[in-house]
Amino acid sequence: MAALSSKNGSVPAALVHSRILSKLWQDRLIYLFLLPTVILFGLFTLYPMIASFLLSFQDWNGFSREATYVGLANYQEVIADPQFWLAFTNTIVFMVVTVPIRVTLALILALILNNPKLPFAGLFRTALFLPVVTTMAIIGVVMTFVFDPVGGPVNQVLLDTNLISAPINFLGRSSSALPTAMGIHVWKWFGVTLIYWLAALQTVPEELYEAARVDGANVFQTFRHITVPLLVPFGIIIVLITAIDTLRVFDLILTLTGGGPFLKTEVVEVYIYRWAFNSSIPRLGYASAAAVFFGLTTMFMAILQALGYGMVRRMRGTAS
Amino acid sequence: MKLSRRDFLKLSGIAAATTATGGLASIIPAAAQDEIVMQWWDHFLPLQPLTESVFAAYKESNPNVTVEYSVFSPPDLGQALQLAYPNDQAPDVHALAGISVPIPALKNEGWFASMEPYITEEWKNSLPESIFIEGRTTFGGELYSFPIFSFRSHEALVWFDKEILAAAGYDPEVGPRTWDEFRDAARKITENGNGTVFGWTQGIGHTERMGATLTRLAQLAGISGDIDWNTGEYAYGADAYVNALEFLVSMERDGSLFPTAITIDTRNARSRWATGSGGLFLDGPWNPGVLQGNFPEFLDKIGVSQAPVPDLDTPSYAYALPKSGDFWISSQSDYPEHAAAILQQFTSEDYQIKLAERMDQPPLDLDTVAKANVHPTYAQCMDFFRDIVRLSPDPLVKNPAVAEVLSRMNDIRPNLGEIVQGVIAGEVSDIPGTLQAYSDQLTAERERAITEAQAEGFEVSQDDWVFSNWDPTADYTSDMYGA
Repeated sequence: MAALSSKNGSVPAALVHSRILSKLWQDRLIYLFLLPTVILFGLFTLYPMIASFLLSFQDWNGFSREATYVGLANYQEVIADPQFWLAFTNTIVFMVVTVPIRVTLALILALILNNPKLPFAGLFRTALFLPVVTTMAIIGVVMTFVFDPVGGPVNQVLLDTNLISAPINFLGRSSSALPTAMGIHVWKWFGVTLIYWLAALQTVPEELYEAARVDGANVFQTFRHITVPLLVPFGIIIVLITAIDTLRVFDLILTLTGGGPFLKTEVVEVYIYRWAFNSSIPRLGYASAAAVFFGLTTMFMAILQALGYGMVRRMRGTAS
Repeated sequence: MKLSRRDFLKLSGIAAATTATGGLASIIPAAAQDEIVMQWWDHFLPLQPLTESVFAAYKESNPNVTVEYSVFSPPDLGQALQLAYPNDQAPDVHALAGISVPIPALKNEGWFASMEPYITEEWKNSLPESIFIEGRTTFGGELYSFPIFSFRSHEALVWFDKEILAAAGYDPEVGPRTWDEFRDAARKITENGNGTVFGWTQGIGHTERMGATLTRLAQLAGISGDIDWNTGEYAYGADAYVNALEFLVSMERDGSLFPTAITIDTRNARSRWATGSGGLFLDGPWNPGVLQGNFPEFLDKIGVSQAPVPDLDTPSYAYALPKSGDFWISSQSDYPEHAAAILQQFTSEDYQIKLAERMDQPPLDLDTVAKANVHPTYAQCMDFFRDIVRLSPDPLVKNPAVAEVLSRMNDIRPNLGEIVQGVIAGEVSDIPGTLQAYSDQLTAERERAITEAQAEGFEVSQDDWVFSNWDPTADYTSDMYGA
């Protein structure tokens, strides 16, 4: 191989090998510091992913020492299960509804809070960020009392202001349970999106705004022609991160509704949990298949999103 | 062998010091044998002080034995065992809450150790004959475990605040006895409640419990339970189930159901009921025991009556499967002899009296309650159970290969409890159709599992679920299996 490389005018393989080793040795401190992350990532992220993938082709109840290889049977069963698709739909609806609300509202508030003339801006930012640092499961439990139809503060306020004549069972009815969970989720994570937008706004050079003001641009024109174009790349990332965030609602749903009433708020994570740990006979292979299938589907959607973004950019480039 | 960190350090020090002198081999085993640390996992939170007192007493006579005791919630215990066994980290002794896999299937996986080599004939002979049930406590005639509680129990007793019930026009010493009385009392309590007290408080969100409660009410309405023992068929589509569910949903239609009930669990519901939100509450005999710990001021106000029945003219019975063992010695335990010695303390009369005084599930011998210092309602419960609870036939006892079918059956969802929740939440309108569909799905799933088990050489069929000599009014005793 080394001889062939030399004949083709390439660097001999042995030399390449030696250079790589020399480079690795040179950067040894960097790798040393990276090692804990690599080990932890491998143990707690990569290994479970690979194990879950392998498990998805097996029938295993978690109790027996041996699992049975069943090929694609688990996947076929997942795809044929209406309960999975109900959970899948709930998860997607959760994402499609909450992401635009969270991203848009956070952007509006970020624009307001980014104004250096706004008094108590720091206080407002802290107040809006506060729910983020609270544990989701605790919020889920507390919110069952907040939205309680008997004496819960939300119903009490609505009754006192005559907006409703009878208490609403927010979490006990399928029509309102999922929207309520969505509202709580938006409130809980709103602060994170706000911080993203505020960070993005810091990158817009002040000189551009000054130039726009000199040219006589009003607030809307400044926003439309300066802020928006410069924020679009950040926006794509923020939407993506927020969308991934909304797929992780296991603790909220489990503590808030348990997936009920009648499975109407069950999301894919809860579905997986039930089959893996909460069914009469645990089905870890089946639950893994549901997890892998869902993971692949969301990955496919993310790729579509990225392709769409690329297409829009190319079209804009052609138009200009 | 499990060593604490301190012991480990001590031993390491000794080992290091003695290696040079060649004394290592003689010292390590002697030191290691001295200190024994056992792991004990169960879910009996109300019994924790009592269980700890047994461990303390054992340590007095065996100072080198320490039991590290962990109390889990039932689902957590199941998950912990699910992870512990495959990784050879099972506790020495454990309960089996949170695991629905049939016990014979777990036995086949090699989970349990027999008690037989470590017990005396005298102690074994002191146990009631009724607890020796192949596939539940014994395997191949050898004793592996035993129940500390009686099978005579159910979770559909009617608990109430005596003052609230009396205000609704019902005698709190009698309580609402029929479905109609229960519904009427609930309606009146709600009317008197001014929007803060409701007629019926229940943890409908605790779907597993609601499924059991529905089955209990259906049994009292004249069916043997989820299986019709005369045919071996699933019985969820039977009139008794449909009528029982109609009864439960009628309280929601009347506006008598505590509005939050649909999503909360039983513990939460009990808290709301005990703090004045509800009138009637369906629960088991452990209710006063829990109240004594959490709401002692409410204990004097409560009354209890038998589970409601459709009418008083027809004798009603509830059926309970034979009790499995409550504690199991792990096959991975290094100290089965100590585990068995501790377990033998659980059948003494002294322990059983103290067990009754915890007011949890009824003790193995219901008569012990008369000697114990318990709340009057707890003693009342024992009378109720003697009156109506009968020992049910058990397909697993008839043919242990049934375990191979049960362990191959996948859950059908929505399950019974989820259907109850769906009906009460207004998500399901066709009660007979939904229950029948559930029954049909289970039948198909069982047929599939039977075929699979048969293909693997197990001799099992639907006939194993048929008990033609079953008498609905009597206990189905061990001798009836062979008849």
